[in-house]
Amino acid sequence: MHRYLILLLVMSGYASAHSFVPTYPELKPSYVEGILYTTMSLFNARKDVEYYEFGVFNAEWEKVPFAMQNKIMRFKHLEKKKIDIYIREKDKQEVVYICSKSKLIITGASKTSVSSRVCSKVK
Amino acid sequence: MKKLFILLFCAFSAQAAQMEVMGNVASKCVVTPDTAGVFGNPTSDVLSTDPTDGGVDPVVRFDVIQASSYKARISYPTAFSASPTLNDTVVWTGDVATSQVSDTSMSGYDAAKVEFDNVTEFSLTVAGSTWFKTESQADYGYGKAFPGGVYRAIVSAECIAI
Repeated sequence: MHRYLILLLVMSGYASAHSFVPTYPELKPSYVEGILYTTMSLFNARKDVEYYEFGVFNAEWEKVPFAMQNKIMRFKHLEKKKIDIYIREKDKQEVVYICSKSKLIITGASKTSVSSRVCSKVK
Repeated sequence: MKKLFILLFCAFSAQAAQMEVMGNVASKCVVTPDTAGVFGNPTSDVLSTDPTDGGVDPVVRFDVIQASSYKARISYPTAFSASPTLNDTVVWTGDVATSQVSDTSMSGYDAAKVEFDNVTEFSLTVAGSTWFKTESQADYGYGKAFPGGVYRAIVSAECIAI
């Protein structure tokens, strides 16, 4: 069963997908005192999406301050990148979700597009 | 010299026999837009993705590798992301349901779904793939015709770790 699922997930990754891992990231001390960080990985297999926005939220889905290289990043088709997200130690108890959301470009005919968001839960 | 070759051969054979295969199954959610939605225009004041109205329902696939690690939260649109200027109200209705499943035990997803506002939540309690279709309809004013132009709307598909 797991072999089939892994194969399916690997293949699905090359169709038109958005994945954001790990599911349960852990905050670790960074080289700056009072700042924690975690490393996330995003894989963009969506041909129609080139930009992803990142966000950190508490249990009520309110924004929690965080820092990273760019809060909106460009991912080419089939590109995978590791992203470091920095959070103040005093906000550690508040942080629940780290999310990535696809940014869509409006073009073309009358249709509905799909905005995808994948959220991980901090341990 | 011959003995040395035999010794080396035996050493390599022993190593090969003890080779380890390692793997790691980590929790993961992959969101894949499967089918692009298209608005049909059955009457002048209605835009609908329903196939009976000439539209196409957008389909999104969620793949999860571990059961009960994620929930799917899908929202049908409540506004156009692009449209001509509209000077009357648009009333949105919609529905989200499973359209295909990779495991028969996912058949209970529809009965257990939670709906509020334009949002539908499904607990992904079984590992595998689930296809969700989102039906949406926009009704313009009171019997008013939608002005000509391009209309676009966004369906939001979220996979949230639980």
